[in-house]
Amino acid sequence: MTAQRMLRLLCRATLLAIFGLGLFAGSFTHYSYAHQFRELPNTAPSAAHWLGTDGLGRDLFTRIVYGTRVSLVLAPTAALLATVIAALLGGIAGLRGGWLEKIILASTDLSMSLPLLFVLIALRALLPLDVNPILSVVATFVVLGLVGWPASLRVVWAAAKNLRDSDHILLARALGYRPSQILFRQVIPCLRPVFLAQFWISIPLFILTEATLSMLGLGVMEPLPSWGNLLRGSEDFSATAANPWRLVPLVVLVLTLICFQFVFHRSEELA
Amino acid sequence: MAQWILKLAQRLLLLTALAIVGALLCATMVRFAPGYGVDERDLDFQLSQSSRDAIRSEHQLSGGLLHYYGSYIAGLFHGNLGTSAFLQRPVAGLLKERAPLTARAVLFGLLTAWIVASALSLVTLRWQTWAVEYSATALTGFLIALPTAVVALLCMYLRAPVFLGIAVITLPKLFRYQHNILAQAHTRPFVLAARARGVSRSRILFCHVIPVAWHPLAALLGVSASMAIGAAIPMEALSDSPGVGQLAWLAAINRDLPLLTSITLFVTLLTIGANFLAGSMQESQS
Repeated sequence: MTAQRMLRLLCRATLLAIFGLGLFAGSFTHYSYAHQFRELPNTAPSAAHWLGTDGLGRDLFTRIVYGTRVSLVLAPTAALLATVIAALLGGIAGLRGGWLEKIILASTDLSMSLPLLFVLIALRALLPLDVNPILSVVATFVVLGLVGWPASLRVVWAAAKNLRDSDHILLARALGYRPSQILFRQVIPCLRPVFLAQFWISIPLFILTEATLSMLGLGVMEPLPSWGNLLRGSEDFSATAANPWRLVPLVVLVLTLICFQFVFHRSEELA
Repeated sequence: MAQWILKLAQRLLLLTALAIVGALLCATMVRFAPGYGVDERDLDFQLSQSSRDAIRSEHQLSGGLLHYYGSYIAGLFHGNLGTSAFLQRPVAGLLKERAPLTARAVLFGLLTAWIVASALSLVTLRWQTWAVEYSATALTGFLIALPTAVVALLCMYLRAPVFLGIAVITLPKLFRYQHNILAQAHTRPFVLAARARGVSRSRILFCHVIPVAWHPLAALLGVSASMAIGAAIPMEALSDSPGVGQLAWLAAINRDLPLLTSITLFVTLLTIGANFLAGSMQESQS
């Protein structure tokens, strides 16, 4: 087994462990993420609180595992939404061609010319800011999904365009297949690896963007934890220096993203 | 020459049209945003109906969407970008005041990122050993995994200038693009032929690879400018630097929609302009 393969296997196992931690958060901790131990603010790690507590006395380990659930479950959902939009629009543009292709590509170029973070901040600000935490999670990730498709669209469009001119599609047409049959039996199976690659590439991007949005106060709202709003606590440097375990969310986030890079490196190459 | 002027005019027309479309899209979003036109004074029952009507007309709620578009564009042509609801100051003045600081930070940040990314890419291609390759990949892989806001906090903690943060955020993506472009050019048949003839690695890199990779590298300028402008927002917001990025964040936090619309227009113009410049450079080279 090569070193690269071993590393990939290790990263896969780490990702699975982190995903498991998030999905079965309730099995790993018996505290609520919002429960405040008023008499124990900013405590050091102990048997009762493995990673200590935050300024409000909330158990940090509990908040990290529930935050992992929010970030790791919803980022793939947003990635799925972005990929579906990219697949639909890119597929239509690539397969139909003509004026529709031009309009879709022009709107993609316009969307791509604006920085993603700026568009997200502007869009998120247009929605009410004082919403309940669950709604803030939905709003953040729906906005991410609705805005994060342009780069994927370009890739899907290029693949669909190549497919349009391919011999087997021409043969299917000559054999009298209906357009729906061609779409479901020929086009979608051929484009599936491209869709999958775009989906996997979008996940780390959305995790990172959510973290930045939440750190700016425009993402997931308190008391619901996410990796982004857990990092907001690190703005207080003196408190972070005194309680370095507060950086654990950052370590988990960076570790997850590095693992994603190693595991899905081949997907990136494919895309 | 005439053909070149025609092409330039076409591109400028497209640039203006795209900027106006961007502004109108933003104006539409603002117009239909929940809570648009709500004014605290409207809830004051001590005010007469005529006063409330005057307040409502301040927000241009009387006309339809087309009327709103018309008044927005007319204002734009007269240099009137409206007044910030949060800061109670003309938006044009605010942008004029803060734009130079952001432009400087973005420019220096881009310059630093380009120099470091180019150096890293050239080093990895010149000395193709696993140690160099893995070190560069590990460094950029780590930097890419850091959220922009964390880099901003680190910069604030280390008292580093904003442009350095922008450079750190732009560098890993830029390195990957540059490295891929150069590596692709490095696999071309004439490079293989040059290697077979015993031409030195440095000569191959500077005389055969870079001239071929120059066009796609020039196109990267526009993309990197867009990345740097995006990075400037959290950088300025978290390190309290009084630039346009901080203004955008303040506008978002305070739902100052007129200010946000104008900043969107400004950012659209800036990024489309950067892409236009990169495209023109690429064309003039070919």
